[in-house]
Amino acid sequence: MSGTAGDTPALSNIAYDDLVVGERMGPYTETVSHDMAARLAGPIGEPQDVDAVPPAAYPILFLKALRRSMGGIPAGSVLAKQELEFHGVLAPGSDVSIVTWVGDKQVRRERPFVTIEFDIRDAGDRQIVTGRKIIVWPTGPSEESV
Amino acid sequence: MAGGEFPAVTDRVTQDGIDAYAEISGDFNPLHVDPQAAAASEFGGIIAHGPIALHAFFRSATTWLGSDALPPGSAVKVTYRAPTRPGDDVTCEVREQRYAGGDGATEVDAECVKQDETVVVSIKAVLTQP
Repeated sequence: MSGTAGDTPALSNIAYDDLVVGERMGPYTETVSHDMAARLAGPIGEPQDVDAVPPAAYPILFLKALRRSMGGIPAGSVLAKQELEFHGVLAPGSDVSIVTWVGDKQVRRERPFVTIEFDIRDAGDRQIVTGRKIIVWPTGPSEESV
Repeated sequence: MAGGEFPAVTDRVTQDGIDAYAEISGDFNPLHVDPQAAAASEFGGIIAHGPIALHAFFRSATTWLGSDALPPGSAVKVTYRAPTRPGDDVTCEVREQRYAGGDGATEVDAECVKQDETVVVSIKAVLTQP
């Protein structure tokens, strides 16, 4: 699946059973504008001059890719953990491509955990950030799949 | 080159900041931007986007490093523990800071806490030198 930003819903309705582990989605192209980088460097929304994209931009890029791949985070979900690995420094104004996939899904202590992986690269295919969100999904496996 | 103790950074969570984050991220979940819908939810009112609670850590780390970005080789693991709301003051507090070896990397255990000492996020990070 590939494309540009569009009118996607803010919240996903994807059921736990419909999540396919390992199925890659994207690449989705996003631009990290100078304005976006500047507004995430200091107190949120208060622009600061920056020479490089600040770390706070990457959870937002995760979110944008998630919205484009599966319509966003499902209503009622809980973001439990987030991990980021930094591989390269990005200049403000750069385009990035983001690939995302479900890395894992499993029920632990009766709670359905879903791991969504992200791979962010610059226009030259240089890896910039990888990471994942671990989300408690609002619905678990159906009785038929248990 | 980074050195010494992490600087204390406190972020005040405001509705203006939440609205700005919604605009930047495109995440206009009613829990963040619609007071009536949020009041009717299990949270009983507006809560901030999760990464807003992490922001004080990123600001503290980049200030300590003297760099806008986290250098290659750095890694951050975050556990979200509680929501934040408009009016909260979120402070990054470093619990432990260890020099990891000859490559200059520093391991950091930190928490972002609210004014009532509620931990909103726990962080384990490795920060390399710029």
